[in-house]
Amino acid sequence: MKPLLRIVALWRGRAAWLVLGLLISLAGSLAAIGLTTASGAIFATGVILAAPVWLRVLGPARVVLRYLERLTTHDALFRALADLRVWFFRGLAVRLAGGLGMRRAGDVLARLVGDIEAQDVVYMRILIPLCCALVVLPVLVILIGARDAWLAAALALLFVTAAFILPAWAARGAMAGGTSLAQAIAGLRVATLDSLMGLREVRAFGAEGRMLATVQSREAALIAAQRRHMRGGAIAGAGAFLCAQSAVLLALLAGKAQGAAGIALVFLVLAAFDSIALLPRAGAQAGLAAAAAVRVLEAAEGPLSLPDPANPTPLPPGSALRFEGVGFRWSPDRPPVFDGLTLDIPKGHRIALLGPSGAGKSSLAALALRLAAPQQGRILLGGVDIANLAAADLRSRIGWLSQSTTLFDDTIRANLLLARPDASEEALWAVLAQAQIEQAVRALPEGLDSYLGEAGHRFSGGQSRRLALARALLSPARILILDEPCAGLDADTERDFLTTLNATADERTIILIAHRLTGVERLDRIFRLSGGRAVAAAG
Amino acid sequence: MEKTDPGAKLWLADQARIGRRAAWPLVAAGLAGTCLAAGQSFFAADLLGGMLTPSAPVAPLIAAIGFAVLALLRAGVGVATEGLTFRAGANARRRLRSDALSRLLDAGPALLHGAHSAELAATVVDRIEALDGFFARWLPAATLAVAGPALLLLVVLALDPLAALVLLVTGLMVPIAMALSGIGAGRAAQRQFTAMTRLQTRFLDRMRGIATIVLNGRIEDEAAALGRAADELRRRTMRVLRVAFLSSVALDCAAAAALVILALRAGSALAAGTLAAPTISLFVLLLVPEYFAPLRGFSAAYQDQFQARAAAAQLSTLPPLPAPAPPRVVRNVAASGLTVAFDNVSLVWDPARPPALSNVSFRVSPGETLVLAGPSGAGKSSVIEILLGFVRPTSGRVTVNGADIAELVPAALSRLTAWIGQRPVLFAGTLRDNIRFARPEASEAEVDEAARFARMDSFTAGLPDGLDTIVGEGGHGLSGGQAQRVAIARAFLKSAPLLLLDEPTAHLDPATEAEVLESLRRLTLGRTVILVSHSVAAHEFNAVWGGRRLDLRAGRVVSARGAA
Repeated sequence: MKPLLRIVALWRGRAAWLVLGLLISLAGSLAAIGLTTASGAIFATGVILAAPVWLRVLGPARVVLRYLERLTTHDALFRALADLRVWFFRGLAVRLAGGLGMRRAGDVLARLVGDIEAQDVVYMRILIPLCCALVVLPVLVILIGARDAWLAAALALLFVTAAFILPAWAARGAMAGGTSLAQAIAGLRVATLDSLMGLREVRAFGAEGRMLATVQSREAALIAAQRRHMRGGAIAGAGAFLCAQSAVLLALLAGKAQGAAGIALVFLVLAAFDSIALLPRAGAQAGLAAAAAVRVLEAAEGPLSLPDPANPTPLPPGSALRFEGVGFRWSPDRPPVFDGLTLDIPKGHRIALLGPSGAGKSSLAALALRLAAPQQGRILLGGVDIANLAAADLRSRIGWLSQSTTLFDDTIRANLLLARPDASEEALWAVLAQAQIEQAVRALPEGLDSYLGEAGHRFSGGQSRRLALARALLSPARILILDEPCAGLDADTERDFLTTLNATADERTIILIAHRLTGVERLDRIFRLSGGRAVAAAG
Repeated sequence: MEKTDPGAKLWLADQARIGRRAAWPLVAAGLAGTCLAAGQSFFAADLLGGMLTPSAPVAPLIAAIGFAVLALLRAGVGVATEGLTFRAGANARRRLRSDALSRLLDAGPALLHGAHSAELAATVVDRIEALDGFFARWLPAATLAVAGPALLLLVVLALDPLAALVLLVTGLMVPIAMALSGIGAGRAAQRQFTAMTRLQTRFLDRMRGIATIVLNGRIEDEAAALGRAADELRRRTMRVLRVAFLSSVALDCAAAAALVILALRAGSALAAGTLAAPTISLFVLLLVPEYFAPLRGFSAAYQDQFQARAAAAQLSTLPPLPAPAPPRVVRNVAASGLTVAFDNVSLVWDPARPPALSNVSFRVSPGETLVLAGPSGAGKSSVIEILLGFVRPTSGRVTVNGADIAELVPAALSRLTAWIGQRPVLFAGTLRDNIRFARPEASEAEVDEAARFARMDSFTAGLPDGLDTIVGEGGHGLSGGQAQRVAIARAFLKSAPLLLLDEPTAHLDPATEAEVLESLRRLTLGRTVILVSHSVAAHEFNAVWGGRRLDLRAGRVVSARGAA
């Protein structure tokens, strides 16, 4: 349960709200128990005068408290979850250098987001009922202990079993199963995505039946894992139910000695055990939430792979980029990408880097942006080793456009302003024109304020690339790395774009990464990457 | 509130009908649980009555044993109900998922013209997963919310008509209050559901693009914006919830009112000395929570129907399964030496746009290579898609050895053809699995031979696990040229007489292109080949391979060169 405690600790900024919700919940629980007990007490001649008053007070109190409880706990939970999302976003953002987001991480991220959402059970379904049980237990023991100590002891034992021991058992089982459940759903997702991405292959090779069978077998594995989880919860639930029934039976048998007051006693036991009936199921949910919390914490609190230097050097004025004897591999078990790479890119030059995919063109960009660090050699920006610069400073100097550059489900304006928040209206239209997308945007009724994601104006793949390009051009960075900027554009648009690029970009350094040139590019130098080095190629 | 389209409504009504039919064991189990609870309440009331008056209807020992036995039975029914609930949901998911995926597989690659595969996958996996509650909880709960209280009402009516009236009136308060605040609260809850979904979508959107945010130095801005969006949505959601929770207030009110009224009535009768049968009063009092329990279950499952509505909008738009094909003449086509002929073939994707192909005719003889050249959008790929059976021509005839391909079953057509596209898709699994995909029954030796033929050893030699290296999701990423070699190995392993090549080197750099072309050339020996390429590369192909060349522009043949 340690990971869940860590999640709860992250919510301390919202402690006041969370505690208020908790207190109202406690009051509501006690009112519910009081109401049931008072309705039993009506039969006891001793309290015949007091009980009706209690009923008239507790009945409305219970209704009002339940309503307030729902409102405050939901409000508190929304605040806490919002904090959790922002915390997670920050944590992941600074750890991005570790590789997440650079590679095919969309699915991984989607799963992590699901894990965050799974934490919503922690407060309302687990924390609050547990606290209520902790308050109800002494109330039960004190009220009954005064009349029958042995009965109180037996009831306390049953209560502890139902409220704490069985839920803990269910939680442990669910936590162990939580990992296999996550794997099973990932397996189903991969198999389904494979079949649909490969629809052409599937049809060409007549593999429809095989693909369907694969997906069905993954689904069967998922259902089996879910069934195991369900069974754990069901058994714990049945155990708690039998505890409650034994408690009621004991009270029924022992109440005889109390006379009419025994009725109130039985009603009290009924209500007390009713208040914890859902705890075993909450235990099972806690197990899953804890398994999810482990993954969330690993992603957002793991070690920083490339921390900023303690005393970063201020950003130098120059923007010449130099790779000096760089050796790099992504991990020790992978072949080296660069081996003694030396490359000079003077300020304001336009160079092209060519090479087959896999030759390290994109790795070069990752090194320059310090998303990864070389194992040998160094990279200099304006004469300063980039290892001594703050990452944020470095990235303000170097702009990057790649396949993994994302457009957000927001307005066109907001998407562009991401690169330069203070850009003027004219500047926005200017870059849209450079990226050959101005006409299409002007044709939209909302112009720059059109939402990209809204069904009507969803842009085609080629148009999206051009918007991403416009954003890269808007960036104030003095060095622009364009990683296959024309992927997904048809031949004519590609030519248009490259021609425009020739005419723009003033003083900026341009590093164009491509697998082949079209012949219209205006370049100062061309390099070919092979064997882990850059070789100057004839223009 | 957005309007539900009629297709989605129809789909949901259909599913509800199927689901209700499958849910009867759950309803039966629920009613059995209610009966057992009533029985237990009776024995408990008997024992409680014994505390007031010495003469209870049943002896205390028997009552205690009865109570315990029914408790055990009820625990058993509870476990069984959980199992049945799970099964109802799992069966529905299995059924819907197989149905959805079959439709998608059947509609085939033409589907990818209009939709993104990741969205389709999310529909098949997550949307259907979220439907579990609709079948497992909502449908049975909707039936039990009426049947359960009705059953108990009948029991109480026989014992204490006035108490039955109290339960009936308070019970009816729930649906009436729901209807009054009611339809409004339902709508509010739906809006809340939509708002929550939107917040989650926004968060997911920003997380997916986190690299872009970091590299633009906007971490703090975005974090603050995320916080603001969440806060604003919280405010709006809470406004909605204040109304939505009123329906649960109605339920709480009704339950508390029933309890208070019945207790006060028994209490005043007791005080006046007119309480004839305290056991019955106690029994009725104990039944109050059981009476309202199905209504609580109903309101707890209320969210599940919104999930179903959201899913219906997407699942109802999946392509329909075609009627089972009538037994056609399955033409047997000789497997060696294929002749392919297009006879006045036209293809229209969208009537509003010019046709992809108009009146295209050509003929390829056995062992011959035909190069189809033209700029993008000329209709070259449409020729390949027709031959693969991805689409059917709008008019005209396509024949293989004289047999119309419209008369061939898809499996027969796919046996005759091998195809290499621009970017082959590699599936999650080993390289070996990916080659064997072409012919699952192939032996190890045959797979090895295919890998050798495609010169895959040029890169597998550097991998620690060789051909057993895992590729795809979470595995080793292959470069474009390496992936194309896997595609060549697949085509070799399949060894089909007709080879279709759709710009196989479009995304390769010149050096890799030359190597891949060399492997491809060896693959074409002895086969009938149709190769699609843009104009510049087509020239090079012709120079190396010879063969005939056909130039397409805007769906028409503009020139034919080379020997016929």
